[in-house]
Amino acid sequence: MANEKKHGLISAIIMGLGGAIGFEIFALLNYAYFDLAGPSMISALAFCGIINLITMLSYSELSAAIPEVGGEYTYTKVAFGGIISFMAGCLRWLASVFGGALAAVVFVDQLRVLFSVFAPSSIQDLILANASVLILGLVVILIILAIRGVEEASTLIVAAFLTIFIIFLAMSVGYTLTPQNIVPEASASSVMYFFATAAYLFPMFVGMRALVAGAPQIKNPGKNVPRALMITTIVLTVVYFAVAYVAVGAVPIGGEITGDELPLLNLAASTIMGPVGAILFALAGIIASVSSVGTAMTVQSSILGGMSRDGYLPAAIQRVHKRFGTRYIAVIASSLFVIFFGISGAVAFLGYAASFGSLLVFALVNLSLIQLRRKMPRLDRPFKAPFYPLTPLAGIVMSVLLLAFPVILRDVNAESALLSSLGMVAVVLVTYYLRMVKREIDFNRLRVAVGGICFGAGVTLIVLAPVIVPSSLFLIMIIVGLVSIIAGIMNILASARKID
Amino acid sequence: MKIRRILNAVTGIAESAIGVLSAVLAVLLFFDILEVQTVFNVPPELLPLYLLFLGLFSVFSVLSGLFLIREWRG
Repeated sequence: MANEKKHGLISAIIMGLGGAIGFEIFALLNYAYFDLAGPSMISALAFCGIINLITMLSYSELSAAIPEVGGEYTYTKVAFGGIISFMAGCLRWLASVFGGALAAVVFVDQLRVLFSVFAPSSIQDLILANASVLILGLVVILIILAIRGVEEASTLIVAAFLTIFIIFLAMSVGYTLTPQNIVPEASASSVMYFFATAAYLFPMFVGMRALVAGAPQIKNPGKNVPRALMITTIVLTVVYFAVAYVAVGAVPIGGEITGDELPLLNLAASTIMGPVGAILFALAGIIASVSSVGTAMTVQSSILGGMSRDGYLPAAIQRVHKRFGTRYIAVIASSLFVIFFGISGAVAFLGYAASFGSLLVFALVNLSLIQLRRKMPRLDRPFKAPFYPLTPLAGIVMSVLLLAFPVILRDVNAESALLSSLGMVAVVLVTYYLRMVKREIDFNRLRVAVGGICFGAGVTLIVLAPVIVPSSLFLIMIIVGLVSIIAGIMNILASARKID
Repeated sequence: MKIRRILNAVTGIAESAIGVLSAVLAVLLFFDILEVQTVFNVPPELLPLYLLFLGLFSVFSVLSGLFLIREWRG
């Protein structure tokens, strides 16, 4: 068997940067700056970097000790197994779906920005009016590419991004930036907004998990993965901090600018670099979003495939395309969700939703570290997270705090995102129960209960139909009610016999 | 038995489809895609209630349909 070529430290760093630097910086800064924390968003970014660093210490220990494919799903499987690993896999998949949908929205937005530089407003209006069609078209093309197994050129994208950011920062030296107070004020409300902003901006960092997922392909992973994770986190935090600082200085808050016309980063680029900057950043946004949608679809199919392999999901998901050798059912299934959420165009909702999924996964990874130290004290650990157990505990507390603050603030986007995530978790729990339950009697009791609920819902629909629906929908409502009643009766009768 | 199997298949598929369509309607309402809030005359203050009912109905319908499909497939 031929030896597979392994990557060194530099390639590992590029892998981490390639996963993290992307479309998020174009999408998330706007809401964070204009609607949440204002200039103190920059401090929130640095705070995100610190939290990310803490959890990456846990990731480093786990990836060095368990250098297998699967990342979070594998760690939680070794540590807890069962429902926790199933939950981690589902949450990771969910975060990827929301991230992919957000990237699709950014693609349309950056396309509009690109045309705003040199095209008449009628073309921009045309793009906005057909945003759903464009998103659908983008995802369908990427489905075909993902099924065909086309690789992305992540190294080139990372190099291009870093170059664009460096040019942007260098040109800002000759521009007079408006000084801004980046430290949050000492009031309860400011602090709450600060944490809510940190939660919202968190997806800008989480992509570097790609490095952990790729640990088996890295030379001497026990040494190189932790080093690469640390270096990537520091580089990312510094780059994001500097770019956001310049953007905020170039586009001071207040006045007529509300962020509705152009995204913050594009606005700052056109202010500092002129039309060239506007075109350059719009192109970068388009490339990053297309690449991210493609990556999200690959990641999703890989997670679903892994869970199907372990028996948590139907075996059909693992079905591989005869010609291209990719899991085409998993790709198509995930893409439907991306399209569905993508055409909503709700950037703030998608940002929070992607963040919440990732934060919950981060908490589970930190819990896995604690569990593994207790369960397998003799496991070979080439890297150990320092200050144990403070490091994983801090990671858990920070993740929970970031989840809580936007909701305490009653941010409607955060509330909707959290409710959606919890709803999906509930569905996951029921799915797990149904797939894994061994005691037939419990299954039949559950079936009787569900049958009873459907029977009741059907009767209610038929009784209420004349009152609550217009005449055009009356017949549909009656049919839905009848189907529910029949399904309910059949479930009750079939299960009641088995319980007896 | 054959009639029972056919009934299981037809009802199971129809019930699952109703569940999925309810979920789609809930999302359309939430994001107001195609202005469905206006089409269905949903007052904004009652939107969470509609979403809750649709969500619950959707989950239980899909489950109920899947149980019947499972029995049909043996």
